[in-house]
Amino acid sequence: MEPVLRLQDVSKAFPGVQALRGVQFDVRAGEVHALLGENGAGKSTLIKIVSGVYRPDSGSIVLDGQPVQLHSPHEAQRAGIATIYQELLLFPELTVAENIFMGHAPRRAWGGIDWRAAATGARQILASLDIHDLDVEAPVGALSVGNRQRVEIAKALSQKARILIMDEPTAALTQADVERLFAIVRRLRERGVGVVYISHRMAEVFALADRVTVLRDGAYVGTRDAAQTGEGELITMMVGRTIDQLFPKSDVPIGMPVLEVEDLSLAGVLDGVSLTVRAGEIVGLAGLVGSGRSELAQTIFGIAPATSGTIRVAGELVRIDSAATATRLGIAYVPEDRATQGLIRPMRIRENLSLAVLGELARRWFVDRAAEMRLAEDAIRRFSIRAPGPEQIVGKLSGGNQQKVVLGKWLATKPRVLIMDEPTRGIDVGAKAEIHRLMTELAGQGLAILMISSELPEVLGMSDRVLVMREGRLVAELPRADATQEAVASAMMRTAKAA
Amino acid sequence: MATADPRAAMPGRLHGLMLRHEMVLAAILVAALFVLSLQTDRFLTTDNLLNQGRLMAEIGLIALPMTYIIITAGIDLSVGSIMGLCAIMLGYGWKNLGLPLELSIALSLLIGTIAGAVNGWFITRVRVPPLIMTLATLALYRGLAEGISQARSVRGYPDWFFVLGQGELLGVPTQLWLLLVATVVAAVVLARTSFGRMLYAIGSNETAARFSGLPVDRCKIAIYALSGFTAGLAAWIFVSRVSTTRSDMGTGVELDVIAAVVLGGTSIFGGTGTILGTALGVVLVQLLKNGLALTGVKGDATIVVIGSVLILSILVSNWLRARRGVD
Ligand SMILES: Nc1ncnc2c1ncn2[C@@H]1O[C@H](COP(=O)(O)OP(=O)(O)OP(=O)(O)O)[C@@H](O)[C@H]1O
Ligand SMILES: [Mg+2]
Repeated sequence: MEPVLRLQDVSKAFPGVQALRGVQFDVRAGEVHALLGENGAGKSTLIKIVSGVYRPDSGSIVLDGQPVQLHSPHEAQRAGIATIYQELLLFPELTVAENIFMGHAPRRAWGGIDWRAAATGARQILASLDIHDLDVEAPVGALSVGNRQRVEIAKALSQKARILIMDEPTAALTQADVERLFAIVRRLRERGVGVVYISHRMAEVFALADRVTVLRDGAYVGTRDAAQTGEGELITMMVGRTIDQLFPKSDVPIGMPVLEVEDLSLAGVLDGVSLTVRAGEIVGLAGLVGSGRSELAQTIFGIAPATSGTIRVAGELVRIDSAATATRLGIAYVPEDRATQGLIRPMRIRENLSLAVLGELARRWFVDRAAEMRLAEDAIRRFSIRAPGPEQIVGKLSGGNQQKVVLGKWLATKPRVLIMDEPTRGIDVGAKAEIHRLMTELAGQGLAILMISSELPEVLGMSDRVLVMREGRLVAELPRADATQEAVASAMMRTAKAA
Repeated sequence: MATADPRAAMPGRLHGLMLRHEMVLAAILVAALFVLSLQTDRFLTTDNLLNQGRLMAEIGLIALPMTYIIITAGIDLSVGSIMGLCAIMLGYGWKNLGLPLELSIALSLLIGTIAGAVNGWFITRVRVPPLIMTLATLALYRGLAEGISQARSVRGYPDWFFVLGQGELLGVPTQLWLLLVATVVAAVVLARTSFGRMLYAIGSNETAARFSGLPVDRCKIAIYALSGFTAGLAAWIFVSRVSTTRSDMGTGVELDVIAAVVLGGTSIFGGTGTILGTALGVVLVQLLKNGLALTGVKGDATIVVIGSVLILSILVSNWLRARRGVD
């Protein structure tokens, strides 16, 4: 079958980086084609070429057998190529309907925008995706990440897309949301849409993809039929070696409580949460999106100070009224959303890495450039951040490498308590194992770690204890031995189903 | 070596661009000097230029904290009113309250600082947008000044008081020295200290700055307070220069200051800007005003020219930005 879209011999360089060299790739109607590769392998760059964001330095794009030039995202959209980028791009203040029809809203006779028609259209599109629980008048900013993503997909469909590109769509989703997303993708495939799917999660690739293409260091490695390959082969293609241990959890001595939270409440969000994390312990925090996990973390971290309840750090009663206070007390928080909370994207790697330790790094008031440089070079080495150097602008890094910068920034504070919110979001298999190894190592040095993750295998694999949250409350506490997939999942859902 | 990279001195993606923006400004400045000096031979004289330096000091000083504020994506419209209020307080404290003049000066500086801190407090704690807050205090502080002065002006200051506004040191106006020192300090603080780094961080992404444990609110209150203090300082210079105190002093100053800062390449959206750019902006605005006045252009037309130059410089730097494909 002739593919809808074919890329031939595409190359693209950025200053200091050859992001793609002579890559080929094609998409057929009615297939899901997965794109795999390590962080910085060039996946996002490839799809940005397809979606008209970047022009390739050389090579050609063939659409329906015709060579085309895509000069802008707008042109690509008109050609039927819709893209959901790694970092979601919706306008938070606008409603669901407004977002879906942003840029191509139905018009009235005199040229004004017909918002009523837009709302109706939005409802129809959502219904065609079997989505009936979204209020099209609600502002997008109020939605969960999973719902925001559904809005993105609806937006893509409103543009009558024949090719839908999804760059790590599940990185921020819980299991239930992932299932719903899969249902939508399968439905689109049946309709004959060609789907390009990027993910670092092997299980998803095998659940969804018909074919898989692997990139390494910007070069094309190969394409396989999903039915005729296995995880081992793909990982070897991606990293050029095999990865032996996925969750390198080792037993370390568990010490005194470092973080003790008692009866913590935040009006309307948290309801009497009590928990303890000891030195050397990794506590996993599971729950659905919206169950209050991130809110709990941000309350402990002082972003949204608690309305009642107490927090002790190393046995001492503390009052945390701002993130500055929390940081001073030795609490670090790797936030969920790196683009808005974790990083200052227009700034350099060096400047981002030193942000949380500016005070310590300063000599008198002056930033100690040399120390800052050393810090940055260390972090780049330790986390194998792929970048031309410490002076690179963070916004230009690949998604996974940005995540590593966030981790590096917080570990530079040498915290006593490390709260990680989706720490391996968007990180490739190799680097993920690396980060898990690092967590184990840090726990071994007496760090108390509270890890929020929507990836159940990660929670189960890394935690000494698993806490489950639901509707702002802690509803279950399971020691490692009892924390099975079923036990955790059922605690997460119980009333959600009953309701 | 990356450490030797001169560009490392400025944070952010735009700094290569900033240098270019400053180059554009410098080029415009030279061109303006050239053209104006051809129009009239009274323009390019040492006396005239030094005198322009004297006139420029108040705007120049206020433009420094204004650069900080705009870098954090804020704005301070109340500087002109704070200047008026401080000028009145200076005269009122001395003449009506019978304070020693020194104490009255200190009091007026303190009031300026408090007026600025009030802006900062409402902006950070009550989350009033800076534009709204300082628009409100623009009216409020001016009203206070008028209420206190009751339309009376204060004159008859002792001789030593005029040194700052009318005196000179080594042949250069006193206040120009002050401006020079303040500019250098402001530039170093912005480019080299952790405080400066914080300002850029706040302006580029306030949420992330907060999540990084930076004292965002304290930092903002500090710069608005600094802005108020500087407006007080400018009031002192102003009164000393014109020998009298009136409540309408500093009216419209905010426009000149913001124009100079934006002309200097500081983005109103926050995250970028340099003191060098601001300094060039201030000089350019002042020379244009003076040169046009000398060539017989009327006041209204001067404003038109300044507005046009402002738009032109923004167009040029936007064009540069687009060509570099930033974002
Ligand atoms: N605008 C840019 N300017 C400079 N370098 C860039 C830019 N965009 C991407 N790069 C570089 O190109 C390389 C490929 O990046 P890309 O985003 O395509 O990786 P990726 O495969 O999507 O990785 P990830 O899994 O982490 O998302 C990286 O080294 C990245 O730093
Ligand atoms: Mg990517």
